[in-house]
Amino acid sequence: MKKKLWTAALCVAIIGGISACGSKESSNPESGSSGAKTKITYWTGDRHDSEYIKELVDEYNQTNPDHIEVELVIKGDDFDQALDMSFQTSEAPDVIRVKENTIQTFYKKGFLAPIDEFMTDELKEKFPLMDNLNSFDGKRYSLPNYGTTMRLIYNKELFEKAGIASPPTTLDELVADAKKITEVGKGSGAYGFAQNFKSPASALGRSARVIAEVSGYGGFGYDFKTARYDFSPFKPIIEAFKQIKDDGSMLPGVESLDIDPLRAQFAEGKIGMYLSFSAEAGVYQSQFPAKIDWAAAPAPSIDGSFKGASGFLGGQWLAISSKTQEKEAAWKFMQYMYNDSTLKQYQEKGFGIAMVPSVSEAAATPSVKGIEGFLPNKYDGVWPVAPTVAVQGTKSDDAFFKYIVSGGDLDAITADLNQRYNSALDAAKASGEVKAEPMPDFDPAKLAGQYTK
Amino acid sequence: MNKAKNLAFSYSYILPSFILTVVLGIYPIAWAMRYMFYDYKGYGAEKFIGLDNFTRVLKDHEFWNSVVNTFVYAGGKLVLSIPLALILAVLLNQRIRGRNLLRAIIFMPTIISTAVMAVVFFTIFNSYNGILNQFLMKYKLIGSAVDWLGVDYSMLTVILVAVWGAVGNYMLLFLAGLQNIPEDVYESSALDGANKLQQFRYITIPMLGPVMQMIIMLAIINALKGYESIMVMTDGGPVGKTNVMFLYVYKLFFPTAGSGAATQIQEMGYGSAVAFVTAVIVGLITILYFYGSKRMSQYE
Repeated sequence: MKKKLWTAALCVAIIGGISACGSKESSNPESGSSGAKTKITYWTGDRHDSEYIKELVDEYNQTNPDHIEVELVIKGDDFDQALDMSFQTSEAPDVIRVKENTIQTFYKKGFLAPIDEFMTDELKEKFPLMDNLNSFDGKRYSLPNYGTTMRLIYNKELFEKAGIASPPTTLDELVADAKKITEVGKGSGAYGFAQNFKSPASALGRSARVIAEVSGYGGFGYDFKTARYDFSPFKPIIEAFKQIKDDGSMLPGVESLDIDPLRAQFAEGKIGMYLSFSAEAGVYQSQFPAKIDWAAAPAPSIDGSFKGASGFLGGQWLAISSKTQEKEAAWKFMQYMYNDSTLKQYQEKGFGIAMVPSVSEAAATPSVKGIEGFLPNKYDGVWPVAPTVAVQGTKSDDAFFKYIVSGGDLDAITADLNQRYNSALDAAKASGEVKAEPMPDFDPAKLAGQYTK
Repeated sequence: MNKAKNLAFSYSYILPSFILTVVLGIYPIAWAMRYMFYDYKGYGAEKFIGLDNFTRVLKDHEFWNSVVNTFVYAGGKLVLSIPLALILAVLLNQRIRGRNLLRAIIFMPTIISTAVMAVVFFTIFNSYNGILNQFLMKYKLIGSAVDWLGVDYSMLTVILVAVWGAVGNYMLLFLAGLQNIPEDVYESSALDGANKLQQFRYITIPMLGPVMQMIIMLAIINALKGYESIMVMTDGGPVGKTNVMFLYVYKLFFPTAGSGAATQIQEMGYGSAVAFVTAVIVGLITILYFYGSKRMSQYE
């Protein structure tokens, strides 16, 4: 009988233990007691700046006079899923790293708390308000720190070896240069061009997108003038990529290539050029130290003329969780992270390019090799945010990638994409999920040059 | 009174497992079964749409392509891993030197994390600097690098990796089955003049029947559900060539596209409907197999 009693007690203890695991309060006993530390958590998915962020958080924990202790949690590629889960289980972080392609979803899911109550006139003046990038429905949820420019990154040594004087400015030149580089480099395993097609959305989101944008077309196929999807401007871009593949100028194995293996191959001198973000400069300084001489140049346009703006991505960085019990503390930590010194260093260390005008003016050029090619120029600008729609069937990036690899009828593919994306847009508008009104006066060329020093 | 107390104690034994089953098993299934009739993206209003999600499933070419891929993947994995596991089990059931070490080595992939295993195999199979291509080219077995993870060979590659990961586990189960066959059956057959091959055909295989039936059933279910190593190596690509059912479902619930890509939308409602159809397919195949293989269990 005694044994049974012990067993029953053990069962109750296990159940109690399990339920205790779900209770945030019980894991934070110091919070709230007099003189004790207020504990908050900050979640980020960024790895390129992780060492610097760790330093900042450590310094804050040691020096802040408010007895706030920040726990830094650096997540991997499962950041979004982990965040979803944390809100389901009441274990949500207090401060969240938000990005260009996550802030809208996090806002719609109700993960974010507005910060208007903390915004003084001075802060409003300092940090630009960007609709759908850091503010939604008239409320502000984040502040900009750094932005990311998109460029053509090229191996100067292979260009020289192939007798190419300057980086390509048109799609025809891109195809021809890739061919020339492959001709002189193939013997040593070097190819003209590469894309990280393991994720077609990421591959084309850093290549076709910017070529379309500098050519005056929305990077995700959305036409802001008409408020309709139209993928036909992508046809010459996709044709060019297919031509590069058919010519044998594309690095073998791009079908399963992720961005990091691509970078590793570029650093080894096996890739002539590719298109990507300004984060690459930091990557070749620390993550994959480049063994070659490389540089970054403006992305080519379809025909050599610049009718739009090369996307300057950003406008947000940190946000406060809607579930936080410590909003004041979270804001104080945000204030610390957004101080001028931190933001300046962020650019100077090469983690990103300042998007806050006052910081941009004061910060020195980053001491990172190759960053000069990524600094904002007269072609860079922030595009408005295209509506997000739940399209049925194959996504545009997958459909284009399939064409690049297997061929087909590109006219039929784009017509099908237009039909399906516009159906999804109509449905989303009808249900009130998105607002998409034509902007007859929209001129993509006017977006360029917003951040030129 | 005493009986009631005993009953209460008995229930207290199963209570923790019961709670875990309800919370981690039944609740998620009930959740998904509700949402399969809704248009729900993880935020905003949940809109009841009746059977629309199922109508969409019927017209979803990507899903049916993933079903075909799953059958190819599962078929390939079974055809290669089951006979190989049986042969290895029979060989390592003999009294040979170092058999325990060999058993441990062959079983080891089973305890290695699938993600780690897949990353290792990616470095072996990738076409630009993979170890396999370098080896084959060094010994002039191929003239140029083969794109093992490309359009033509990616399915074969993921099947081989799956076989490598599964064969040790099935071998161990076969070994357990083999060790339950009484030695005297072999001895008396040897006295009757049966050779090793005849013993294998007429004693080992029939007497392993019930065990083999269970092993194959487990293998079928595992193969139909498997997606983790594929996600790491090819992410279902290229162009959907290795996109299997469960990976397709996973991506509907947890879409990720990386930097530069457009904002992704979770398809909770549609994903639930696809998950249900997927479960029905796996269940039907398992039931069909179970009834189709009844003869195997009649050699008790």
